[in-house]
Amino acid sequence: MQVDIRNRPSFANLLVQFSPGDSIIAEAGAMATMSSNVDMKTRLNGGFFGAIARRLFGSESIFINEFSASSPGELVLTQPFPGDIVCTELQGNTMLLQPGAFIACDPTVRLSLSWAGIRSWIAREGLFRIKVTGQGRVWFGAYGAIFEKEITGEHIVDSGHLVAYEPTISINVGLAGGIFTSFFSGEGVVTRVRGQGKIYMQSRSFDGLAAWTNSHLL
Amino acid sequence: MRHEMLCRPAATAVQFKLDQGESLTCEVGAMIAMSSGLTVQTTSKSRGGGGGIVKGLKRMFSGESFFLNHFTAEAPDQTLLIGPTMLGDCVHHAMRGGTMIIQGSSWLASSPDIDIDTSWQGFSSAFFSGESMFWVKCSGQGDLFMSSYGAIHCIDIDGTYTIDTGHIVAFEDTLKFNIGKASRSLIGSFLGGEGLVCKFQGQGKLYYQSHTPPALGALLGPKLKPK
Repeated sequence: MQVDIRNRPSFANLLVQFSPGDSIIAEAGAMATMSSNVDMKTRLNGGFFGAIARRLFGSESIFINEFSASSPGELVLTQPFPGDIVCTELQGNTMLLQPGAFIACDPTVRLSLSWAGIRSWIAREGLFRIKVTGQGRVWFGAYGAIFEKEITGEHIVDSGHLVAYEPTISINVGLAGGIFTSFFSGEGVVTRVRGQGKIYMQSRSFDGLAAWTNSHLL
Repeated sequence: MRHEMLCRPAATAVQFKLDQGESLTCEVGAMIAMSSGLTVQTTSKSRGGGGGIVKGLKRMFSGESFFLNHFTAEAPDQTLLIGPTMLGDCVHHAMRGGTMIIQGSSWLASSPDIDIDTSWQGFSSAFFSGESMFWVKCSGQGDLFMSSYGAIHCIDIDGTYTIDTGHIVAFEDTLKFNIGKASRSLIGSFLGGEGLVCKFQGQGKLYYQSHTPPALGALLGPKLKPK
């Protein structure tokens, strides 16, 4: 199965080319186009309560689609906002994704919900996050372009700009500077990530778009 | 007339070089900049069918009319720069006879020899969600320019192909289409988030966009202030 990420970083979408017997798991509503020999099966995203929890807390769809083909075919998967998509290959390790970032994965990868902690919720990074484990590729995306960074020690990421991170990283909330700076710098509360591992950040925040749009509504 | 695509694929604009006497028809509001030797004339076409004078006036005030700007060069070597409203791509299609059915908001510009017909109603049964899309039928010979929200890709269909209707930019009318469910089970189609999809059959070109404004709107809407 060949998967290409096209049109990065502004309107990234996945072009999946199936060989007979291949399949891919994708979030509901991600399909843009597909050739007619591709089969789509919908199922609950991990048990009934698991699916509801994933919707409420992980901003992920209740249902998940499995696309498979018994003859060569193609499928285009996309995300609702304009932005970048990145692929990471899991080799038995785990990756933690922010709510809404997951797009697709190989069927050998396991998706579950993971508690992110009160501090993460205060940092407006969400109470839960999506955990992907196993062997295989995972595609995730965000509003804006995605940057990857290896961190050792502490790093600061503005709230709304963290996309994914390895479980060796812990999330903490902090003020951008002193009380005065935090209030007037426009940064307010920021997320402090600490540990050794990889983090993915996005160059635009969706909440930023909402705030900007709101300021222009009469 | 020569054209050049600038700043693909996210903020694409099309730059034209027109010689004396040449003209171009564009959607209203598309003009970004132009040289002083170009004159503009605005005409309108009704969206979605005929009716009498009163209906025509009603449509004009209800915003259902489709206005066209005709740019004509009165001097040699004029430049015209046009672009669509939303972030996205533009694509050029050379028409040599035949007909293209284009999503109304995707039609950007065409050479004056191309006939524009706004009364095509083929998909009106497909939109339960209240999305009102209108479709423009273009036929003849000349240059056609289309825009999209997202990146534009082209497929030469030979056989059958399935597409989520919101992603269609344009297609040749040699293709037969059928609005159907995405998977074999009806419940599965709706819960899988795809709902109704369009299945094309035959031979012809299909232009599609990688993203759709309603998907962005569905996520952004709940975060906006109530009116």
